[in-house]
Amino acid sequence: MPQTTGQTQPPSSAARQAAPAAPRPPAPTVPPEFDALPIWKMDPPKLVAMVKDPSSTVFQKAIACKKLAFVGGKDAIPPMAALLDHPQLSCYARFGMEPNPDPSVDDAFRAALPKLNGRLKIGVINSIGVRKDAKALDALTKLIDDGDPEIACAAAASVGMIGGMQAARVLESALGRTKPPVFPVAARACLLCAENLMPVNRARSLQLYHLLSGENMPKPVRLAALRVLNAAGPAPVTGKKWPPPTGEAAERDTSGFLGRRNR
Amino acid sequence: MAEQKKSVTRRGFGKTLAQAGVAAAAAGPVAAQIGSPAPGQFGPVVVGNYSPLDQITFGGIGLRGRGMADLRQLLGDQRVRFVAIADVRESAREMVKSTVDGYYKNNDCKMYRDPAEILARPDIDALLIATSDRWHGLMAIWAAQSGKDMYIEKPGAMSINESFAVADNVRRYGVVFQSGAQRKNQYSFEFAVGLARSGKLGRLTAVHADTAIGLGAVDAGGHSWWPEESPIPDPLVFDWDKWLGPCLWRPWNSAYPDRGRGEFWDFHAGLLEWASHTVATAQWAADMEHTEPVEYVPDGTTFRGDGLIQRYTVYCRYANGLQLILRNHSWGGLGSCSNRFEGTEGWVEVGDSGRIEVSDNLKSLVPKRTGTRYDPTMDHIRDFLHCIRSRSAPRADAEKTCHTHVASHAAWICAQLNRKLTWDPAKRMFINDEEANRMRGRAYREPWRAEALATSM
Repeated sequence: MPQTTGQTQPPSSAARQAAPAAPRPPAPTVPPEFDALPIWKMDPPKLVAMVKDPSSTVFQKAIACKKLAFVGGKDAIPPMAALLDHPQLSCYARFGMEPNPDPSVDDAFRAALPKLNGRLKIGVINSIGVRKDAKALDALTKLIDDGDPEIACAAAASVGMIGGMQAARVLESALGRTKPPVFPVAARACLLCAENLMPVNRARSLQLYHLLSGENMPKPVRLAALRVLNAAGPAPVTGKKWPPPTGEAAERDTSGFLGRRNR
Repeated sequence: MAEQKKSVTRRGFGKTLAQAGVAAAAAGPVAAQIGSPAPGQFGPVVVGNYSPLDQITFGGIGLRGRGMADLRQLLGDQRVRFVAIADVRESAREMVKSTVDGYYKNNDCKMYRDPAEILARPDIDALLIATSDRWHGLMAIWAAQSGKDMYIEKPGAMSINESFAVADNVRRYGVVFQSGAQRKNQYSFEFAVGLARSGKLGRLTAVHADTAIGLGAVDAGGHSWWPEESPIPDPLVFDWDKWLGPCLWRPWNSAYPDRGRGEFWDFHAGLLEWASHTVATAQWAADMEHTEPVEYVPDGTTFRGDGLIQRYTVYCRYANGLQLILRNHSWGGLGSCSNRFEGTEGWVEVGDSGRIEVSDNLKSLVPKRTGTRYDPTMDHIRDFLHCIRSRSAPRADAEKTCHTHVASHAAWICAQLNRKLTWDPAKRMFINDEEANRMRGRAYREPWRAEALATSM
């Protein structure tokens, strides 16, 4: 245990007594069939077996997936991937798989993509984005045009999270053909993509920011892009020029604390 | 001078100001700049009576106990116009509407079940967000992506990854963010931080943060249990799916909303219940708000179903060697959320009691005003409102809150694993500890993601 200076020790036992611990409520009574602790104490092989076992309850499989998120190896992926189409356990399977660094997780998510629909498909698309799986870009590109706008939005968002030059091309193209509700999601994804490209390809990044500063863009995206462009340098000389003040407005030129200047 | 001050009444002050303005205008701009203005001539040009264009239009998301306290403070500021509430509970929606409409004496406050509808309203400038912990991070991210400024209750994020995502989105979209760490605007804490930052404690050796019991670990049995399944309520009255939000699915039981978030790991952020306040103050005192400690060592962490049960300490160390010490016991008995800062030339300890304890050599510096407990929320909200106007950073902005949260989450992961951890702030990861790194995030239940809903913004 690290030691601190003498002053970090309690000043006196009297002071400690002055701050008694607040009374604690009793621990909840947990039904044995819904008690996570025995499952939590299992070794990974037993957890994998529990996920595989058809006789395991939904609760048992759920907690086993939760624990495997932190300790699961490559062998834990196939049984969890088999739950991706389960209405209740799909989120637990993704919870268990998403932080696992093994590349077979990405293979499993990509393989599941064409087999799923609705919310469960969206969940897998979201996980692919979190894991930044560039191999999924082709599949996600097609899904941006999916008939279900929620799937299309999820696909656009994940392309942005994956980032890179191909993602930038995909999103640039999507901005030219999509409509709300997909368009604003594609714009936000493109903004993220532009930001991530800045350290590696500044010119391409600024090109995207210019695109996103257009007047047809969602206002928050447009303002975000304009701030980056302002930080990058002044507007081009060919930009819009405001006419100088004329008439009475020009005569009232008293700007500056010292009054009329340049006269 | 004293006599002159006495002679100026509130009404007289306004008259003096107006006369000075008329005289200056008559004499022309040059005359107005000659000589220094007399005392009493300074003051706001426009006082009160904010026009609708001057006002900041607010909406609220998930306001109940703490949120209602914030709302009452917010309504008291003339700059604010509160126009809408979104909540998954019908009763909560109606309570807020009743309060707001009663205050404005109209029937204008709109109610929504889905927060996406508030996010899509272009007339709303800012949001008051006081949902339960599990929704804070996503709501903050969506609010930023919608271009809304936000005052958001703490803890602001459920994981390390979510903490960074919130700060990144707030920076990317340039919105103003104030976390509900209101002690950053409370006098006793300001005083203690001032001693540390001004050098009056000498060279700092340790900063302490009282992190209370800390809510339970993921593997603490009770924290992952499921109460018995009940019939799901009518979503118009209580939308269970949206209440559960990004958390892992579980069968409905009224125990979740009734008994609070603290009993279930999925719904709370562990040590951050208090660390959101006390680590924030400690990092402020140590001038370490831009980073996190690099080393975490647990001592005495034993979890029961509902939290850390024994006196525990997590010893953290910054890259410069300074210690941040998280503990669940207050040494001086100064009340909840206490902090203690120690240096080579003295120490100071403060807490929610408002009292300030210092080493003998610093006693002459402690002002007489101590000893009063008060709610600093209004000052904290004012800080936020000022920054909405100036587009500058409030005291608990997203960047500082992010580092506070990351430090606290790292300490909590350390306590749960009960082993020493080393953190790399630049890489945003633990060094040589895969299990700890896997605990940096929590996968969201479908369809939720850290990206705005498909609105027509």
